[in-house]
Amino acid sequence: MIQAIIRYFKGYVKICVQGYGTERFLNLCRYHNIGIWGLIPCGNSYVMYMSLADVRKLRPIIRKTRIKFRITGRYGLAFFLHRYRKRKVFFAGMLLFIILLYGYSERIWDIDFVGNEFRTDETLYEFLHSAGVSPGMKKDKADCEQIVKDLRQEYNDIVWVSASIDGSRLLIQVKENEDIVTEKSAGETTENSVTEENMTGVVQPEEADDTPTDLIASEDGIITSIITRSGVPQVHVGDSVKKGDLLVSARVEVLNDSGEVVNYRYRKAEADILADTQMVYQDSISTVYDQKNYEENTEQYRFFLTIGDYRITAGFFTDNKNDYELFTYERQMKLGENFYLPFFYGYQCKKSYTINKKTYTNEQIRQKLTEKFLRFSEELEEKGIHIYENNVKIHLNQDTASAEGILFLNQDIGEEAAAEMIEIIDSERNKENESTGTDD
Amino acid sequence: MAVAMNLENDSVHERHDGHRREETARLKDIFASAANMPKDVVLGASVITVLGNTEVCVENYRGIIEYTDCLIRVQAKGKQIRIAGKHLTIEYYTNDEMKITGYIGSIEFCKC
Repeated sequence: MIQAIIRYFKGYVKICVQGYGTERFLNLCRYHNIGIWGLIPCGNSYVMYMSLADVRKLRPIIRKTRIKFRITGRYGLAFFLHRYRKRKVFFAGMLLFIILLYGYSERIWDIDFVGNEFRTDETLYEFLHSAGVSPGMKKDKADCEQIVKDLRQEYNDIVWVSASIDGSRLLIQVKENEDIVTEKSAGETTENSVTEENMTGVVQPEEADDTPTDLIASEDGIITSIITRSGVPQVHVGDSVKKGDLLVSARVEVLNDSGEVVNYRYRKAEADILADTQMVYQDSISTVYDQKNYEENTEQYRFFLTIGDYRITAGFFTDNKNDYELFTYERQMKLGENFYLPFFYGYQCKKSYTINKKTYTNEQIRQKLTEKFLRFSEELEEKGIHIYENNVKIHLNQDTASAEGILFLNQDIGEEAAAEMIEIIDSERNKENESTGTDD
Repeated sequence: MAVAMNLENDSVHERHDGHRREETARLKDIFASAANMPKDVVLGASVITVLGNTEVCVENYRGIIEYTDCLIRVQAKGKQIRIAGKHLTIEYYTNDEMKITGYIGSIEFCKC
């Protein structure tokens, strides 16, 4: 293949030799290091290919062997250019092609991410875009070191980043901190400051939040369990509390030797307080519903191409009086993986249907309401709220059906609230200070 | 009678020459084997590489004697190589090597 390209650039000819000493001609060519290929006997003559430079050496050999020599074909770039020398626009196009190829090869056309599992390609791509790195930018403006620094600074969970330019592609390899997943699965949620963002695998640095907070009741209920880690508990197991009642105080009394309060210390109250609470459950559905009957073989398709604000469509929808669903499938064209062009293509599918009013049977209604209730219960369980009893009942009416009842729950009712600060004026100490001040 | 005697003498000479050549070749072969030297270099033997029945590469040859669609005769040192077959084509023909393609029927060596 490479040899064929080299031959094409150097130029070669197809020749036909005829005469008595053709074999001698071949051997003399060999002796003079003239390369021959594609040698075919053709009646009394031989047809072969030879490079343009070697043809110029043939004159003495032809004279010596007295053969008839004829050039039957000319191939290669030199002949091609000579043949089309009058087609100036074509050559201008070729020149433009070379210039564009050179110009485009100076730019980055694709950004490839490797090793990211928690962060999606789109997230990283958007961040890089905001940092001024995007497909189409010049290669020399892409500072790989700066990209690495920016990524490390933005994402704490990325422990190693490498950015390199490979041709017209910017390759970004990242290594994420896998320990976060282990911590998350182990359920260490309190001490390691696992915040909501940990769902995406980020550890927020633990903020030293020293603001003293009380724990108050978020619901009415009866306390079933209380485990205090910090603060002074104000309730006991079996106590009935109202919403807003103080459960754990942030204020810790400092007593002197005689048991008097001399000062208060405030801290963030922390405790697990479980209580039995109640919740009213109510859900209703309509017993009548619309059923769509799609008309068979009436699907209509329309293809389109959108360029900027203009849309070119192929095909049309016939008007009919029925209701219809319009399904649109649209894709944006892109070069590589990330370089999106302002061209969209796709198709629209129109499905006509008629509506039939139908009524659920009692069994179906029961099943639907039960399913909804079970789903609701699962959601509560996921939040850590345990349902230990319920008296939900299904009521069937003419047009609607409802499920109503009370859920008896056991849940954590502790809710943070700002602690009330009380200043204690130590009269004796003040007096001492005053006397010391007069002595001075 | 004298002419007949001369002919006899010539054939005897030829037989002697043939014997001597064979003897020399045998000795060279022995020496090359003993010295672990490649025989294509020492003896000038042709190297023929056959790939299936469609491709033959010949190295160490003197030249082409005859070339037709169904027979190629190549002169090597001390002998001829006859390659017979169908649709024989010389893919390339250079100073070092030639490659023949087509349906190869037989490869023979014969005295020149």
